[in-house]
Amino acid sequence: MILRRDFLTIAAATALMSFAPAWAPRARAQDTGKATSFVKQTGDRLVAVVNGAGSSQDKRAQMTQILNDAVDVDGIARFCLGRFWRTATPAQQQEYVRLFHQVLVTNITSKLGEYKGVSFVMGRARTDGENDVVSTTVNRPNNPPTAVDWVVTDVSSNPKIVDVLAEGTSLRLTQRQDYASYLVHNNNSVDALISAMKNQVASNG
Amino acid sequence: MRSVRPTRPPRAGAPRRLFCLLALGVLLAGCATKPPASDPDALADYEQTNDPLEPTNRVFYAINNGLDTVILRPLALGYRYAVPEPVRNGIHNMLSNLGTPVQLANDMMEGKPRRAGDTVMRFVINTTVGVVGFFDVATKWGYPNHDADFGMTLASWGVPEGPFLFLPILGPSDPRDAAGFGVDIALDPFTWVGNPRDSTITALNWTRFGLNAIDTRERVEDSLQSIKKTALDPYATFRSLYRQHRHAQIEQLLNDKRATAPAWDLQSTDQPAK
Repeated sequence: MILRRDFLTIAAATALMSFAPAWAPRARAQDTGKATSFVKQTGDRLVAVVNGAGSSQDKRAQMTQILNDAVDVDGIARFCLGRFWRTATPAQQQEYVRLFHQVLVTNITSKLGEYKGVSFVMGRARTDGENDVVSTTVNRPNNPPTAVDWVVTDVSSNPKIVDVLAEGTSLRLTQRQDYASYLVHNNNSVDALISAMKNQVASNG
Repeated sequence: MRSVRPTRPPRAGAPRRLFCLLALGVLLAGCATKPPASDPDALADYEQTNDPLEPTNRVFYAINNGLDTVILRPLALGYRYAVPEPVRNGIHNMLSNLGTPVQLANDMMEGKPRRAGDTVMRFVINTTVGVVGFFDVATKWGYPNHDADFGMTLASWGVPEGPFLFLPILGPSDPRDAAGFGVDIALDPFTWVGNPRDSTITALNWTRFGLNAIDTRERVEDSLQSIKKTALDPYATFRSLYRQHRHAQIEQLLNDKRATAPAWDLQSTDQPAK
């Protein structure tokens, strides 16, 4: 009888093990579906602003709204400061994050003209650790099509974009290395970075 | 951004002059200072950046930037202004088609038969139906383009990239890609075709080289301008972008594990060993 029970246990375990992987991808597939629709929705909003009518001030306001809704700007800002985040004073951190929001909006809105006529095609989605990565192809006039991947975190409760990969290059990593190099060449002074960011906002905004 | 292979000069006496320029730059600039061991975070960043020749590299970055501003960029803008987009795309496709031999050789050395097959099909379709490569019909027929160069081949063989280099004229690179660039020139049959004293051959080679440079520059114009406008340290940004882009290309190559058996051969493709 013991033999028989063992056999049943093993059979049940085997059955469970062979079923488990079948369930898991299905659950994740639903999640990437959510991420896909989130990216599609956000992309549609962005394209509507870029191609829509309205003054540049209106567009800036709309763009700020979209970024606040859909992008984890605070998290990206912290990531981009890298090891200097820990050495910065709370006041510097606060000022830096505030400026980071402005620089991001300024950088995006200053390019709106070039992106006029932009459109995008949804591609596949995959999971990467805790995040979902949704692929798209961005088409804009005068430029070859670009593969753009959107990294979305916290898909089930409060989805936010944490990174954008253009042709495999991570925008937040590039930004982090830009800041790191600037800081190293300016005596590791976060104040120097803050004033450079102020200049950027002032000259482009 | 599917780029045509990096532009290359036809055989010429330029390397010697380049070498002198390089030596001058090294003398002028020297090496980057390594942070002390007492600052492990800074040291980790320094090692991750892996750019010990940074001061020299920055000199070449400045020189290239100057050359670009006065020569290449105006040419690229003129090209964009004078030639309508569909024609530019056609020229880009033709240049890409002329790169077939080098691409195919690298596909094979990378041990990627399906990529080699794509390259052959692209060449056959685009050279005939695509009117000597002007139209990229093959992509629409299911044979999309991919990147292949000897730098990637070396990477697939496990050769590390080495420190970052910013080369005169050629721009961002590393020892692996610089070596790959040289090998690709040697692999290109156009390098060896005809008598080098034949002025027609020389003119054709230079035309291809010039068009390649202008085409590549025109295609990156918008991205380049926006990086220069938004980066606090454009050199560091280009360094980061170059490396990431190469890593992405290599990862795509390594992940391309399509089976060699054709799709209609269901028995060997759909039945993995149990």
